[in-house]
Amino acid sequence: MTTQATEVRRRTDLFHTLCPSVVSGIVLGAAAAVVFGFIAHLLAGEDNPDAPVAAAYTAWVIFFFIGIGAFNGIFKWGFGRREPTHEEEMALAGKDQGLWRYFRFTTDHKVVGMQYLATVLVMFFIGSMGAFMIRLEQSRPGAIFFNPQTYNTIVGMHGIIMIVTTIVMVSGPFGNFILPIMIGARDMAFPRLNALSYWLLFTVIPMFISTLLFAGFPTGWTGYAPLSVQELTPGMDAYCFTIIVFGLSVTVAAINIVTTVITMRTKGMTWGRLPVMVWGVLLSVILGLTAFPSFIIAQTLVLMDRIFQTSFFIAAYGGNNWLYEHLFWFMGHPEVYVIAIPALAVAAEVATVFTRKPVYGYKLLIGGLIGIAVLSVLVWGHHLYLSGSENALDGPFMLDTELISIPTGVFFLALIGTLWRGRIWVTVPMLFVCAVLVNFVIGGVTGIYLADLPTDELLHGGMFVTAHFHFTLVGAGVFAFFSGFYYWFPKMVGKRLNTGLGQLHFWLFEIGFVGTFLSLFYAGLQGEPRWSANIAPPFATANLIASLFAILIAASVFVAVYNVIITLARGEKAETNEWGARTLEWTIPTPVPLENFGEELPVVTSLPYNYEPEPVAAAESPSAPASGSAGTPLQPQSGD
Amino acid sequence: MSEPNIEGSAGSAAPARQEPNHIRRAVILWVVLSIIGIIVVILITPFVLPPASSASDLSNADNLTMVALTILSVPVGMFVFVFLGYSLYAFKVKERPTEAGIPLQPSPTLQISWLGITSLLCLFLLIWGLFAFYQQTAAASTNTLVVRVTAQQWLWTFDYPQYGLSVQGQEIDLPVNRPVQFVVTSEDVLHGFSIHALAVRVDANPGEITTTSVITPVQTGNFTVNCVELCGLYHSYMWEAVNVVSESTFESWITSQGGHL
Repeated sequence: MTTQATEVRRRTDLFHTLCPSVVSGIVLGAAAAVVFGFIAHLLAGEDNPDAPVAAAYTAWVIFFFIGIGAFNGIFKWGFGRREPTHEEEMALAGKDQGLWRYFRFTTDHKVVGMQYLATVLVMFFIGSMGAFMIRLEQSRPGAIFFNPQTYNTIVGMHGIIMIVTTIVMVSGPFGNFILPIMIGARDMAFPRLNALSYWLLFTVIPMFISTLLFAGFPTGWTGYAPLSVQELTPGMDAYCFTIIVFGLSVTVAAINIVTTVITMRTKGMTWGRLPVMVWGVLLSVILGLTAFPSFIIAQTLVLMDRIFQTSFFIAAYGGNNWLYEHLFWFMGHPEVYVIAIPALAVAAEVATVFTRKPVYGYKLLIGGLIGIAVLSVLVWGHHLYLSGSENALDGPFMLDTELISIPTGVFFLALIGTLWRGRIWVTVPMLFVCAVLVNFVIGGVTGIYLADLPTDELLHGGMFVTAHFHFTLVGAGVFAFFSGFYYWFPKMVGKRLNTGLGQLHFWLFEIGFVGTFLSLFYAGLQGEPRWSANIAPPFATANLIASLFAILIAASVFVAVYNVIITLARGEKAETNEWGARTLEWTIPTPVPLENFGEELPVVTSLPYNYEPEPVAAAESPSAPASGSAGTPLQPQSGD
Repeated sequence: MSEPNIEGSAGSAAPARQEPNHIRRAVILWVVLSIIGIIVVILITPFVLPPASSASDLSNADNLTMVALTILSVPVGMFVFVFLGYSLYAFKVKERPTEAGIPLQPSPTLQISWLGITSLLCLFLLIWGLFAFYQQTAAASTNTLVVRVTAQQWLWTFDYPQYGLSVQGQEIDLPVNRPVQFVVTSEDVLHGFSIHALAVRVDANPGEITTTSVITPVQTGNFTVNCVELCGLYHSYMWEAVNVVSESTFESWITSQGGHL
């Protein structure tokens, strides 16, 4: 081969590498956004700044997917009327494409899981920096760093980034990477939908950040109408489109996960043998499927009010803001359980490994999680106790909200029972589980104050609410995510995170977190309103203390980032079964091969929580098939 | 606690070590710490709740609920803290464990009693909450002072229709020991009308009129009305002073502002 020929081949290779990939997607999407935005500008005229922005966002999403090659399959196989061959499927799954497969429309569930994980970590970083800016502004009375417009945008962006990230933090990375292996599947049920769900999330990020080009948005993460309709700058449209496209992403992912768990379980993986984590993710995405449509609808109506001058929410023309509030909270309250349920399930999953004990009351715990999912659909009205709209329903909503404490209590019973008389191996993931218990009980009991009408009258709309939901979403949710992160990182990445840095991350985070938000509980009791750029002098001390503790959280973020970076650069190689766990993902090699299992899929005979036989001995036992059912030998299941 | 399903090595190891009665120790610790916790709660309540928070009959009732809920949540929180802390103290291993923990499972009795106790707590919360709330919906008497509150971006307008007085963007007075009812609405977007010290809080909806419960300020003092729903740019600047004053001071304030008695 001559050098010239090599040159030519390299050039074509470069073209085929970049196209289709995220690069061609971004180029085509951005170009289309400019073109269609300009056309809409010509059509709609000067006085409708929202139309070009809306056209640009729509074009960006559609043409990004054309550019990344999401539609290629339709033309190749759909119109060609034949099924793709196994080789073609494997090429789509990123076979022999090296690291570049992470930047393409790759269908392998492990690639999608890693894409989600990287995105979640980056978004957590950005969101936590937003949080730190809020604490900076609130460290002293008066507007000191940001003007009110910037401050409101920071608060709203922090809120949306964190909500979006926490919704996907378990179901995205672990639900895609770990879940199919846990149930003994080779991939998700709909691999291409899987890639679609991730890349939809990806298109959301530049769209949302572009709000900064249009002066931001003033409504906070709740986006209450009619303020969102009144707002003149198109920054609000970025919010609406973010929610709509993110809602699509969640819906696609949810359909995929539900189908996968129902249809792709391996032989013997009955519903009564599913790992708790699988139950948690399944319930979470079912709940998301129920809740998210109303959020998409709410933002579509806001966009119509903004662009086409309809009046769903404008009182002067017969609209009503309560419509928005109901649509929003019909999503908004189930959504916190979309976040909490899989996080709690991860905590239970991790606890059983590091106590070397089965989950205490498996069926009771699953029943509890189902109970939370069912009850949470009908609690949204407690956000409207003081809206003046539906007093007759206050009692029922209060009842249902307080009923949730019963299945939540079951979770505590299960976790405490799992710890009790275990061999508690206090690793970094286990530390995070312990913190989940501490934080979630504080978050839980403070929720009672807000569920109870007389006390809500003192606390609604105040800092107490902020502190409460941070204790549940961060204290339980994010801490449980990090327990899963430290627990599954050796399997997903194949390297071992530094334990000392992990412990430092944990202690800085937990001490900083508890200090910050206990101070804000105090400020809330004193009557400090939420969303304040300009805090009043009586609340100054509590806010200053909160801001000082927030420095510890910020430090913990950088410790975690440093830990990930040095581990990726020169971390030790992790063992196949790093922690001695018994679920299926630890029975297969690291890095996990394409299609996960060898020739034979594993056969499951019990719950994966029997730690009695030695893991090593079991793996070498000649009776266990090499395909990896080794971790779960036949044992009578204890309990019931 | 049920008889655990002990198998193999775990069963033979347990009696040899002369294990202390962990459950009894933890329960005693839990009871003691809960009692201490409740005493601490009662002692620090006056400092944590704002000093003027019993400024009205309503806020008295709400504060009572607050204290009751806190006393109730102390044993709940302590249960988790004590059993978690005790487990970490007593069952921690230094190295990667080579043997399994005792595979305990809850007995049906334990499961049912756990669900029963949490249900009872829940029922108590519901009854207390509803009772305390509906107690507040007292009817307005003839003596009741009516204040119409209109929110707009980013200031408050207060109308005293009984006195033909309207003030905008400035502090207002309320008479002590006289029932007052607020009639709240908004000109533009959603606002939240709140006087924290008097336990008054309701949304100000555009195009809708919302009436608060009748409250009686029982203590003079200077309080604040805040907006508690994010209403745009200057949301956090949307607050005004509210002075609860004697009847005579109130009347002279009315006349000085141009109202009639």
